[in-house]
Amino acid sequence: MINIISKYSLSLSTLTRTTNASKLLTNRTKTTAASNIVKKHKQDDNSKNALAEYRLIYPEFLPDPRIDFRNSVREKLERMDMISRRSQIDIPEFYVGCILAVTTSDKHNPAKNHRFVGICIQRSGCGLRANFLLRNVIDNQGVEVLYEMYDPTIIRIEVLRLEKRLDDELLYLRDAPQEYSTFDPNMEIEPHMEGAPVPINTIKVKLKPRPWLERWERKNLKGVEDLGLPERFYKRAGELATPWEKYDLMKQYMKTVPEEEQNQIFAEIQSELQNIEITRKKLKRKRTFLKPSKLA
Amino acid sequence: MTLLSSLCRNYTKFIDGRVYILPTTCVLIQVRESHKLNPVPRLRNPTWLTKKNRVIHDEFLTQENSEFIKEVVRDQRIESDKKLEEKEILTNSIPWARNLKRTGVIAKKIGIYPLWLKNGEKITTTLLQVLDNQVIKYYSPEEYNPQIRRIGKINNKKGCLLIGAETADPTLFTKDYCNIFKETGVIPKKHLARFFVSGEGILPPGTPISAMHFQVGNAVDVRGKTMDRGFQGVMKRHGFSGMPASHGVTKTHRRGGNIGGGGEKARVWPGTKMPGHMGNRYLTIRGLKIWRINTKYNVLWVSGQGIPGETNAIVTVYDTVLPLRRPLEPIPFPTYLMKSDEDFPENIYDKEVHKFSFIIEEWVTDTVNSTKFLIIKYIKLTMFHN
Repeated sequence: MINIISKYSLSLSTLTRTTNASKLLTNRTKTTAASNIVKKHKQDDNSKNALAEYRLIYPEFLPDPRIDFRNSVREKLERMDMISRRSQIDIPEFYVGCILAVTTSDKHNPAKNHRFVGICIQRSGCGLRANFLLRNVIDNQGVEVLYEMYDPTIIRIEVLRLEKRLDDELLYLRDAPQEYSTFDPNMEIEPHMEGAPVPINTIKVKLKPRPWLERWERKNLKGVEDLGLPERFYKRAGELATPWEKYDLMKQYMKTVPEEEQNQIFAEIQSELQNIEITRKKLKRKRTFLKPSKLA
Repeated sequence: MTLLSSLCRNYTKFIDGRVYILPTTCVLIQVRESHKLNPVPRLRNPTWLTKKNRVIHDEFLTQENSEFIKEVVRDQRIESDKKLEEKEILTNSIPWARNLKRTGVIAKKIGIYPLWLKNGEKITTTLLQVLDNQVIKYYSPEEYNPQIRRIGKINNKKGCLLIGAETADPTLFTKDYCNIFKETGVIPKKHLARFFVSGEGILPPGTPISAMHFQVGNAVDVRGKTMDRGFQGVMKRHGFSGMPASHGVTKTHRRGGNIGGGGEKARVWPGTKMPGHMGNRYLTIRGLKIWRINTKYNVLWVSGQGIPGETNAIVTVYDTVLPLRRPLEPIPFPTYLMKSDEDFPENIYDKEVHKFSFIIEEWVTDTVNSTKFLIIKYIKLTMFHN
């Protein structure tokens, strides 16, 4: 019986969702109780787990789970286009909370390229429509730029600091003091060991007092300090909360792509993705070799 | 006299220049001003509009028998394929002229995704997958009359081609439906559509039509059935603005307002926009440009996201009727003829479209139609040429 339950919890955890909430859920379950079981299974089936990790690294390869938007031919063509773009430009692994530098070419200023550094506060869309939102404070003014991941005018995407935060969206940084979203535009790339787990930054943000852009007390945020609101706000938030939804298996199923389909999708593009990873590693080595000569 | 003879046509005889009217009872119902009225339209369904799907009963067949049926169906399919191969399918095309009308195709709307142009612009495109189209039958203008009968006059001088798509198991269909395909020897198809063609554009039955029927850069019209939205108010149905949420407005926030004036116009004019049923009707979107064609999966990328129907809905694709967007250069007529030895690329792009397997080098000024604009000068490189 215990075996069945543990297996079931694993299948739930691997039954990933493109939705951020469940992604976080799966991460947490992995790090806590299910970690032992996951380790065992890792030894059993490495390739399967590699496929399972792809869904976190390349979430945009999973299609929109809404059944009325699905079509296998369209999804296949879309993946082919994504792969052919990825084989030309390095779109690295990154998460919400990472600090990125994006270099784009500007049609109105053809002689120069434009580089923007900022923290990724949101990732959304799937397929060729995948995009991410970068935020930084420039001249005391909060600036946000939405980049399309497969836009051909993007020349380079660099991950300056690879880390995760406690939340799936950091939109609350808009209501936080500026120092939480200020990053040096000339920031150096922070080294990250290959294959090491992505560190989780457990920083708690202290929000500015109300008025806010959204009612953050209702969002069940993890990376925020006590909001310091009167009791009635929390009471209302409690009334509107839907804690039973995480037990609604049908809802979970409708919101996610089934595990078998995910494996099928990633198995189809696995060799291409591996090629891309090898090229990335080669280039990385090249760059690290070149740098010391400059410093000396 | 003529009135009499026309009324009692069957009972009148002309012999030796004399009229003999046979004794019959003849009831006259006078309709005044009847000559001014339009003839009553008589709906005559096309011959292929029969009941399609059979009611599936449990036939209590043994496993052997059901396997035998499957085997027969399989054999039929092989046989029909063989026959069509042997058959002299159209070999040479006819030079195209602007006044000639080609057939269209049956396609499936498979989704929407963006493409980028070489000038860095993002466009939204809808993907239409051309199904396994095959010609079923040709109806000459005499055989196929328009639905309103006008004796002695054929308005539509073009004949029509009946085209079927998506081969299916024939045991699911009724006998009447399968009989449509009997003469041609094509395995019954799920979807049928008729396309008017000019006399030169007739195709022999069994001719396959692929996505190569269309060319990138040309425009098409797409017809489909819009999503059923049910009974809707004027704001959703006609895009009215509604009325303010406050400032003393009571109970008329989403209503249409006045529907008529006074005086001589003291009535509701025909065609006034009012609430009612929305969607679930056929709609044609005209002049959509083809940006890209995939020859392996027979997919067309056409501009826009307003193509009627939901994803996986069936649509029909025609050459556009818009005079300014008709093709200037010759197009394959009556259709693109597949040659076995021909080698063509998997993806065919319009010259303005950015290819994902290429990367940006620099912006250059390009001259198209005597207007200068910036495009990406782009080259194909190896992986990550940074």
